[in-house]
Amino acid sequence: MADTANTVFNSRVPDGPMAEKWDRCKQEMKLVNPANKRKKKIIVVGTGLAGASAAASLAELGYQVESFCFQDSPRRAHSIAAQGGINAAKNYPNDGDSVWRLFYDTVKGGDYRSREANVHRLAQVSNNIIDQCTAQGVPFARDYGGLLSNRSFGGAQVSRTFYARGQTGQQLLLGAYSALMRQVGTGRVTLFPRREMLDLVVVDGVARGIIVRNLITGEFEKYSADCVLLCTGGYGNAFYLSTNAKGSNVTAAWRCHKRGAYFANPCYTQIHPTCIPVSGDYQSKLTLMSESLRNDGRVWVPGAQGDQRRGNQIPDTERDYYLERRYPAFGNLVPRDVASRASKERCDAGYGVGSTGQAVFLDFRDAIARDGKHTIEAKYGNLFHMYKKITGEDPYQVPMRIYPAVHYTMGGLWVDYHLQSSIPGLFVLGEANFSDHGANRLGASALMQGLADGYFVAPYTTSNFLGSQNLPEVSTDDEAFTEAMANAQDRNSKILGVQGTRSSDSIHRELGHILWEYCGMSRERQGLESAMGKISDLREEFWSSIKVLGQGEQLNQNLEHAGRLADFLEFGELMVRDALVREESCGGHFREEHQTKDNEALRDDKNFSHVSAWEFTGVGNEPVEHREQLEFIEVPLATRSYK
Amino acid sequence: MVTKLAEKQQSSPSTGGKSATKWIMTLLSSSIGQKFVMGITGLLLCGFLVVHLAGNLLVYVGAEAYNGYADKLHSMMLLPVAETGLFLLLFAHIALAIKLTRDNQQARHISYQEPQSKIEEKPSLFSQTPMGNTSGWMFISGSIILAFLVIHMIDMKLHWNPGVDYSIETPEGVVEAKPYSIMVQVLGSFTAPFYIVGTIVLGFHLSHGFSSAFQSLGLNHPKYTPLIKKLAILFAFVIAAGFASLPIWGFFIH
Amino acid sequence: MSETLDLTLKVWRQPGPDASGRYVEYKLTEISTHMSFLEMLDVLNEQLNEKGEEMIAFDHDCREGICGACSLMINGQAHGPDSGTTTCQLHMRRFKNGDTIVIEPWRARAFPVVRDLVVDRGAFDRIVQEGGFISANTGSAPDANSVPIPAPVQETAMDAAACIGCGACVAACKNASAMLFVSAKVSHLSTLPQGKPERDSRVQGMVAQMDLEGFGNCTNTEECQAACPAEISVSNIARLNREFLRAQLCSKE
Ligand SMILES: Cc1cc2nc3c(=O)[nH]c(=O)nc-3n(C[C@H](O)[C@H](O)[C@H](O)COP(=O)(O)OP(=O)(O)OC[C@H]3O[C@@H](n4cnc5c(N)ncnc54)[C@H](O)[C@@H]3O)c2cc1C
Ligand code: HEM
Ligand code: SF4
Ligand code: FES
Repeated sequence: MADTANTVFNSRVPDGPMAEKWDRCKQEMKLVNPANKRKKKIIVVGTGLAGASAAASLAELGYQVESFCFQDSPRRAHSIAAQGGINAAKNYPNDGDSVWRLFYDTVKGGDYRSREANVHRLAQVSNNIIDQCTAQGVPFARDYGGLLSNRSFGGAQVSRTFYARGQTGQQLLLGAYSALMRQVGTGRVTLFPRREMLDLVVVDGVARGIIVRNLITGEFEKYSADCVLLCTGGYGNAFYLSTNAKGSNVTAAWRCHKRGAYFANPCYTQIHPTCIPVSGDYQSKLTLMSESLRNDGRVWVPGAQGDQRRGNQIPDTERDYYLERRYPAFGNLVPRDVASRASKERCDAGYGVGSTGQAVFLDFRDAIARDGKHTIEAKYGNLFHMYKKITGEDPYQVPMRIYPAVHYTMGGLWVDYHLQSSIPGLFVLGEANFSDHGANRLGASALMQGLADGYFVAPYTTSNFLGSQNLPEVSTDDEAFTEAMANAQDRNSKILGVQGTRSSDSIHRELGHILWEYCGMSRERQGLESAMGKISDLREEFWSSIKVLGQGEQLNQNLEHAGRLADFLEFGELMVRDALVREESCGGHFREEHQTKDNEALRDDKNFSHVSAWEFTGVGNEPVEHREQLEFIEVPLATRSYK
Repeated sequence: MVTKLAEKQQSSPSTGGKSATKWIMTLLSSSIGQKFVMGITGLLLCGFLVVHLAGNLLVYVGAEAYNGYADKLHSMMLLPVAETGLFLLLFAHIALAIKLTRDNQQARHISYQEPQSKIEEKPSLFSQTPMGNTSGWMFISGSIILAFLVIHMIDMKLHWNPGVDYSIETPEGVVEAKPYSIMVQVLGSFTAPFYIVGTIVLGFHLSHGFSSAFQSLGLNHPKYTPLIKKLAILFAFVIAAGFASLPIWGFFIH
Repeated sequence: MSETLDLTLKVWRQPGPDASGRYVEYKLTEISTHMSFLEMLDVLNEQLNEKGEEMIAFDHDCREGICGACSLMINGQAHGPDSGTTTCQLHMRRFKNGDTIVIEPWRARAFPVVRDLVVDRGAFDRIVQEGGFISANTGSAPDANSVPIPAPVQETAMDAAACIGCGACVAACKNASAMLFVSAKVSHLSTLPQGKPERDSRVQGMVAQMDLEGFGNCTNTEECQAACPAEISVSNIARLNREFLRAQLCSKE
C-alpha cells in the first residue's frame, strides 16, 4: 500500500505563484472534443448547490448526465435551508475587500488547516458565482439605486456577503435547480429522484458506477458511467440533533470510503452559535437562527448566576456582553467556533438562561431603538417569525434565547486540487469533501464553495479526467456491479431480518448523545476513549436489536433511516478516533488539554499542520492514517486572534 | 400539442411563425385561454345586463316610455344580429362553464373528509351565504340562472306562458299586446317568483364573477383590485335589486 | 409550564399507489404542547413500531419550513390551521386537549398518492422543466451590477421566488389548480430584466405542461393564497394570465 499512499497524496497543486495556479492548471488541462462529449456519461449524486450546479454545467458542455437525489425533487436538497448569505470578493461596498483578503480571511478563519491553493481558487471564482447567479435570476438584495447590497458575517471586517432576504440558500439552489431542469428539458440530464446511493462501483481501480435503491419501489438499480461526482452534503446528523435536514446522511460518502476513498479530518465539526435551544426529549432537529443576526443582535448573559428573570427585565448594569468584553475588535461577529465556545463556557459556569440553563440571550433591543422596528423587520422579519413560531415568544419584545448546535462538517472525503478523491474517477464536491474550510468554516462560505466546485471547478477537472483517460466500456452486467448490488441488498435484508426491539430513532439519539458529550464542542482524551467503546457497543446493539417493520420492496422510511444510522455508527468511531489523534485545538476541534490560559484554542503547528486522511480497513478495524502536510506560504501561520 | 423545449431549441427561431389559426387554437384549448373567454363573455353579458336593466326600469316611468323604448328596439335592423351575438356569448359562456367545471371535478377526483377554508377575512356579507365568495357555487348559480333564462324566454320570446294574454282582440282584429302589458302580466303571473329567485341568484353569480373576470383577464393592480372587488359587490347588488324590484312591483300593482 | 394533550388522530393509510386506502384511528396521550406537529407524528410512529405496526409514511426533510417536502391536510386545511406556516412549523400548542385531528394526503389527480401521506409531486418539476428558468450557460454571465434592478422590482421578484414548491396551493384549491405555483415562477423570472428575453416561451411552455398534467382551472377562489406557507399572492396569477395572453397574442411564434 505504501506506494499507492504516495500517489494519492499528490494533491496535484500546480506550481507557480498562488494567483496564477488556477489559470495555469486550466491551461494545462486536456479537453474532450464536442463530438465525444456526447458519448461520455457522468453520474452526479446529489442535487444541492454542488450537485445541481455541476450537473447543469456539465450538461451544458454536452455530456450526458444522470442526476440522483433521495428527495422527491432535486429542488429540496438541503442547501435550500441556508439562510444568511454567500461571500464574494466583489468589493462593491468599496471597503477594502479583494480576492486576496477573502482568501486570507478564509485561511485564517479555517485556523490554518486548509490547503492554501484551494482556498485561493475559491476566492478567485467567488465573483463569477455572483455574476452567474444574478444572470439566472437569483433575486439578491439590492439598494434603492438598483445595485447589489451586502451584509457582514462573522470572521470578516468587510461587508462581502450577498443575500436574498433570509433565504439565500433557497434562491441560489432554485437558480441551480432551474439550470438543471433546463438541461433535463433538453434531454441531456436524466433525473433520478427518490434514489438513495448505497454503493460505489469501482472497476479496475476507477469509479465507474453506483448502486441505488429506488425508494418508491424498493428495487435496487445499477448505473454505469465514465466518472462519478459525489455531492451528497455533510454528516452533521451523526449527532442526531443538528440543523441539517432529517435526511442528510453520511451513507454515500461512507460507502465510497469503504471502497477506498480516504476520509479526511472527520473530527472537524462546526457548532453554530445561534440556534434555538433544545426544548425536550422529543426534539427531532434544531433550527438555526442565521449568523447575520449577529450584525445587529448583541449576545449576553446575566451577570449573576442562575438569574431567572426574563431578559427584558434585567437592567444593563447586570448584563454581561461577554463577546464584546472578550473580543473587542470583532465583538459579536467573532467566528463561529469562538462564539460557540464562549457560550458554552458561560453556561457551564452557571450563567445560562432559560429553563435548562443551556442558552444565552441574543438581544435586538438596542438595534430596534437605533434603527426602528421596521428596519429590523425588513432585514430579519422571516427569522423573527420563525423563532416565534417555534418558541411561542416574540423576539421584538424579549431577547431570543440561543445555544450552539451542530451545523456543518468541514471534514469529508479527501480530494486533490482537481476535487478527485483517492479513487480515480470519483470526484467529490461541496460539503461532502474536506477541501476548503480547514478546521472551521466562515459564515457564507459553504454556499460559495458548493457553487465554486459545481460551476467553476468540476466542469474543468472532470473534463480533464475524461480527456486524459482511455476508459474501456463497462456494462452494468460487469461482475463489480453484481457484487456491489448484492452487497447493498444484503445489508438491507440484514436490517429487516433483525426483528429486534429498538427503534432506529432511539439508537440514533443515543449515538447523538455520545458524540455530543464526548466529541462535541470540547473534547478530551478520556472521554474520547470511552466514546470509542460506547459507539462500537451501540453498533453491536443495532445489529442485534434494531426493529424495522415492513418490507424492502416498498416505500419504507424506517428502513432508509436505519440504513443511514448503520453508517453513522461506523462513521462515528472514525470521527472520535480522528479527534483523539489530533492532539491540539484548532477551529471546531477543541481539546481541553490544549488551551491557553484564557481558554483560547492552542494549535500545535509543528506536529499537526496536516490533513489526516483515513483509509478504511474493515468495520471495527483500526483505519490507516495518511497525512497530507499543509504549507502556509501566502498566509504565514499565526495565532488566530479576534481580540 | 405542446412543443417540447428540446424541439423548440433545435428549430431555429427565424423559421416561420405558427399558422394564423394554430395560435388561436392553442389559446382556446389552454386553461388560461378558456378562462379568458369565460371572463370576456361574462363581462359582455354584464354589459348587456346593464342595458337590459336600464331599459326595463323604464316601466317605472310609464307605459308610453317603456313601449316607446321597446318598439324602437324591435324596429332596429341590427336587433337579430345583436340577439344572435348575445346567444352566442351565452352559449360560449355555458359551454365553457360545463367543460371547465368537469375538468375541475376530475382534477380533484377524491375529496377531503371536511375541507375547511383558510381564508381569514371574509370580504362581505355575501360570503356568509353559501353562494358568497366561494366560487364553488358558480356552476350551481349559473345553472339556476340558466333555468330562469329558459323560463324568461318562454315568457318573453316564445310567448307560451298560459297566464299571459299575448294578443288582445280589438275592433280591428287580433293584435299583439303591447310590451308594457306583457311585462306587467308576466310579472303578475305564476312565473314571477322565478324572476325574484333568478335575479337574486344572478346577483350572487356576479358578486364573484365580476371581479373574477378582471383577474382572469390579467387585470390586477394593488391600487385598483380592492376597488374592483367592492365595485363587484355593488354592481351585483344593483343588478339583482334592479331586476328583482320588477316582479315585486308587479305583485303590488296587481 | 409545559402542558400536555390527549388526542385522537384519524390518519389516511394506503399501502401503495394502487392499493385502496382508509382512515385509521389512533389515540395519543401526553403530547407536549411544545412539540412540532411532525414530532407528534414521530411519537406516534415510535409507538406503532413498538406495537408491531408499520410506521405512517409522510414526506419531510428540513423541518424548518423551507424545503417544501412536508405536506399534510390537517383537519381539511393544507399545512394546518396557521397561515403562512408549513406543517413542520406547526406546533401542538395550536391544538386543544381532546381534539380529533384528521390527517390526509394532498389530493389531486396530478399528485398521485405513493403511500399513506406521501404523494408524487413530480408534475411540478416537469412544469419547471418546460421553461421555469433563465438560459444562462455557466460562465457566460456579465458583471452582476451591469444591469441595475430597481429595488421594488427585485422585491416583487423575490416575493414570488419565495415559493417552496410544496403543493399546498393545489391541495387547498377546490379545483386542484396549480396556477399559484406556476404564476409564482413565471412572475419571479418574468419581472426581472434577465428573464425578459424568454418571457413568451417560458409562460407558454409552463402553462402547456401544467394543462397536460391534469391540474384543474383557476376559479379565482383564492384558497391557494390563504394556504400558501410562503404567502405567495394571487396577484401573481393575474400576472400569469397577462403574460400568457401577451405571449399568445403578441409573440411572433
Ligand atoms: C440551516 C443551515 C443554514 C446554512 N446557512 C448557510 C449560509 O448562510 N451560508 C453558507 O455559506 N452556508 C450555509 N449553510 C451550509 C450550506 O447550506 C451547506 O454546506 C451546503 O448547502 C451544502 O451543499 P451541498 O451541495 O454540498 O449538499 P446538500 O445541499 O446537502 O445536498 C446533498 C444532496 O445529496 C443528496 N444525497 C445525499 N445523500 C444521498 C444518498 N445517499 N443518495 C442519493 N443522494 C443523496 C441529497 O438528496 C441532496 O440532493 C447552512 C447550513 C444549514 C444546515
Ligand atoms: C346573464 C348571465 C350571466 C352573466 C352576466 C354571467 C357573468 C359571469 C362572469 C362575469 C363570470 C366571471 C368570469 C371569470 O371568472 O373569468 C362568470 C363565471 C361563471 N359563469 Fe356566468 N354569467 C351568466 C350566466 C351563466 C350561466 C347561464 C351559466 C351556466 C351554467 C354560468 C356559469 C358560470 C360559471 C361556472 C362561471 C365560473 C367560471 C369560473 O369562475 O371559472 N354563467 N359568469
Ligand atoms: S405557491 Fe405556495 S402553496 Fe403553492 S407550491 Fe408554492 S409555496 Fe407551496
Ligand atoms: S419539512 Fe421542509 S418545509 Fe416542512
